[in-house]
Amino acid sequence: MGQMNLKTELNDCELLQSMLAGDEEALTVLYRRRQGAIYRFALQMSGSKTIAEDVTQEVFLFLMREGHLFDPGRGSVSAFLFGVARNHVLRRLRVEQHLAPIGDEFDDDVPSLHASTEICPLDDLTRAETIESVRKAVLSLPSKYREVVVLCELQDISYGETAEILGCAIGTVRSRLHRARALLLAKLRPASEMEEADSATVKSARCFA
Amino acid sequence: MNSPGLDEEMLTRELKALASEMNQLAAPDSVETEVLEAFRARKVVTPLAFRRPNVSYWLAAVAAVLLIAVSVVAFRWRMKDETPPPRIAKEYPRHEGTITPMPVHQPPKDVEYGMVANFPKRNERKPIRTPRVRRSENLPVANHAEIATDFIPLRPMNAASFQDGGQIVRVELPRSALASFGLPVNMDRYNEKVKADVIFGVDGMAHAIRFIHVR
Repeated sequence: MGQMNLKTELNDCELLQSMLAGDEEALTVLYRRRQGAIYRFALQMSGSKTIAEDVTQEVFLFLMREGHLFDPGRGSVSAFLFGVARNHVLRRLRVEQHLAPIGDEFDDDVPSLHASTEICPLDDLTRAETIESVRKAVLSLPSKYREVVVLCELQDISYGETAEILGCAIGTVRSRLHRARALLLAKLRPASEMEEADSATVKSARCFA
Repeated sequence: MNSPGLDEEMLTRELKALASEMNQLAAPDSVETEVLEAFRARKVVTPLAFRRPNVSYWLAAVAAVLLIAVSVVAFRWRMKDETPPPRIAKEYPRHEGTITPMPVHQPPKDVEYGMVANFPKRNERKPIRTPRVRRSENLPVANHAEIATDFIPLRPMNAASFQDGGQIVRVELPRSALASFGLPVNMDRYNEKVKADVIFGVDGMAHAIRFIHVR
């Protein structure tokens, strides 16, 4: 136990080196430190608990097999893991796309999204409904926009690290995020507002006619 | 109606709310168990620098190299058997006279004439196979060498035209005939005539022509 405490003080890079040298404790510490973010990333990208679990497992198995591919000069271990997770998620989504629609099981996986009736049940219900609509809107984004929203907004990762994970320029991350937010706003705009916008369009069309 | 700025703020707030809602989510313990079991199942986990080469990988690589080597040898051996006559100008006996029947025995497919090696492509006409013609025994053999072009089809041809044989006739043509077939004409010798072989089918029609250069 004391040895485990010592390991927790090591950084990711040192833990990876120890793990590659056969240290199981190092793997345990590294796994416990990073599995949550990887799991959430996969869950937010796919909307599927099953895929998220599989991806988390595959990421760490990959780290065991191919951990020597990690280059500290190119980024952090965390970015490396997110990059691997991203590849696995996208691959799984491509496969799942041909088999069955995803996202149906998500509702059962996130109990916190359902209302807790301790203080104000109505407020909690409204809040849960809003969060649920945001989650669905994020899931409905094209993958290249979804991943920047998940990484930058939900995982709170910096633009620079997101660019490392995605293998693109920071400017690309910014522009994709801007576009993604615009898409989200359009999706989350209330139906009544949409109707107003439509009617305004019709009126202006009449004016031009 | 909400302003765009307020929409942006609301979106940020809702995304933060979603993030905080999901912040406590983590992979189930079963995943950790499986990962650790997989780690233990690995007998030797060493950095790449100390890792032994994968035996199956090297076996596959050696097999692939052997396969490629055998394929190359077989291909070369096969090509050796099928190698056509060298693509050089072939020499034919020179004949005297204006019109002389000439024996033909499988002339080369690709005979180059001076600098105009790709002449058939220029006219988009493919060289034709010379029909099998009965060989004449009593033809004089000349001392001079001749260089011939490919046969140039003069009309649409089919194999049926030569099933019953054919005949090649040596003729002399004005040198300007070269130009009509896209061949270069030496203007210094414009008034001279040029020799040519014309293939006649049994129907009496001229089917193809080739020009002869006498050294």
